[in-house]
Amino acid sequence: MPSLRALAYLGWRAVVAHPLKRAFRQPGTGLERFSAAYVSEGLVPTRTEDRAVGEAASACIACGLCEAGCDLARASPEVRALGLHAAFRLYSRSATELPLARDALAACAACAGCDALCPTGVPISRVVAHLHAAAGRAPRARAPGGRPAPQVVPA
Amino acid sequence: MTATTPEGLQADVLVVGGGMAGAIAALAARAAGARVVVARRSPGATALSSGAISVAPHRPAHPDEPLFARRGPLDAARAVAATSPDHPYARLGLDALDDALAFAARELGGLLAPALERPRVLATAFGSAVSAALCQRSMEAGDLLAVRGPLAVAGLAGHLAFDAGLVAAGLARFAARGGPRAHAVAVDLPAVVAPAAKPYDLARALEAPGAAEELGEALRGVLPGGAGAALLPPVLGLDPAARVPERVAAAAGLPVAETLSDVPSVPGLRLQRALDDRLREAGVVIVTAAVAAGWAAPGEAVDAGGTPVRASAWVLATGRFVGGGVARRGTLFEPALRLPVQAAEGREAGVHLAARPAASLTVRDRRAPQPLLSAGLRVDAGLRPLDERGRQVHACLFAAGAVIGGHEQATDGTGLGVAILTGWLAGRAAAAAAR
Repeated sequence: MPSLRALAYLGWRAVVAHPLKRAFRQPGTGLERFSAAYVSEGLVPTRTEDRAVGEAASACIACGLCEAGCDLARASPEVRALGLHAAFRLYSRSATELPLARDALAACAACAGCDALCPTGVPISRVVAHLHAAAGRAPRARAPGGRPAPQVVPA
Repeated sequence: MTATTPEGLQADVLVVGGGMAGAIAALAARAAGARVVVARRSPGATALSSGAISVAPHRPAHPDEPLFARRGPLDAARAVAATSPDHPYARLGLDALDDALAFAARELGGLLAPALERPRVLATAFGSAVSAALCQRSMEAGDLLAVRGPLAVAGLAGHLAFDAGLVAAGLARFAARGGPRAHAVAVDLPAVVAPAAKPYDLARALEAPGAAEELGEALRGVLPGGAGAALLPPVLGLDPAARVPERVAAAAGLPVAETLSDVPSVPGLRLQRALDDRLREAGVVIVTAAVAAGWAAPGEAVDAGGTPVRASAWVLATGRFVGGGVARRGTLFEPALRLPVQAAEGREAGVHLAARPAASLTVRDRRAPQPLLSAGLRVDAGLRPLDERGRQVHACLFAAGAVIGGHEQATDGTGLGVAILTGWLAGRAAAAAAR
């Protein structure tokens, strides 16, 4: 009977394997263990706020209406080249590349004029402020050779 | 004028949404003597439109024979109404269409070219041609039926968003059917304009003194012999007052027009700005905030970004999916007033379809009617939204524009025409109901 084998396996996991694993694993919460293992590689944990911001940003349809009214998009070459939508949409997906956008995000004057320009209601200034804070927290990603990854230099 | 009291704004008509439908509704209500507040969260789909106003495609003439689209907007709209019984044109009747279009043309007189008996046939940035009932002055000289002599399609060197060769090759198909012969040419941009700039940056840069003239001079140097008009990418200035097309034309020595636009659309932004300016001139109060009315009804105060607004009649002109008038979260719903959204499937219309997952409301055949894309509110002949059982929700609540379902407004070529017709009717009805 296949279900008997399955039940036996579940029982083995519950009674023996899992308690043993708990007894010998590293101390600390899941977040602490994740951080110990991955933050040095540039991967920062995705927190609830990060996910909320990512969801808000996912309503972006890349129409560009926000850029037409954004003084930053006109003044900052990186943002102008990328597009404001890319600045928050692409980077919000990739924790390892977020530090590369640090300078571009820092150029935001936080005037919040873009919020009233988004047809789909993305809270752009909140997303940019959040990414700016996250970029400040994230460690500089290390390239495989152990050197810091190259930074985007403002033109 | 609209009264500002300590309790907030007092008005006769509250229009939610400030695109074409909302603006025309507000202006029509204002023209009828009402005090009007427009509450809108952001520019909507009007700012993303091609910039020309298409009322109805001439179906037998599309898409391969656009140059035979010689029926006026009313005739073409009648043909749409006859074949699509759920279309707002069919449900509302078309008696008011001519008046509504004349009203819109008058209100936007500074931006739009005077209407003709026939539609104008305008080139897109992809080399196809579509007919439009009204177009901006910057597009007028590009009417394929009016160009005398060869048409120079001018690409701007380094501006990759516009492929002059593609457009010229596309328009060459129409030469045998009465269109102009099209020649692609490349023009160098003035030194002050960065060619890699985004379209609206390019448009702004061309407004600078001397820039448009320099572009016109460069254009004159590369024109084919005997050219009747030049077609440029849709970047000829954001502000019509800067008169970029006129300045380029004067320097180049021939009529100059821009094509219709893809997003990001400079002509669309221009259209939205012209509507905003006209609203302010007419004395309409604009509140930049989303309205979440919840279960409130016209006559009660609603919150618009912290300002309570009390108006006797409401016009809901919040658009469809881009504008945010119909939202999709598992199922379809209307966020501002929680009105029932209806999704039609051919002739089988009803609320129940809208409760299905949105993904199940699309059909694999792209040319078949897509219930998802025509989902929206159902209204009676007086533009009052109906509930699940087909009763009107409130005597002083009206809907206008793409939030009304029954037509695929993004693709069927009637989007802004429906917005103008329903906006005009809803604005007048709301002003009358508020009295």
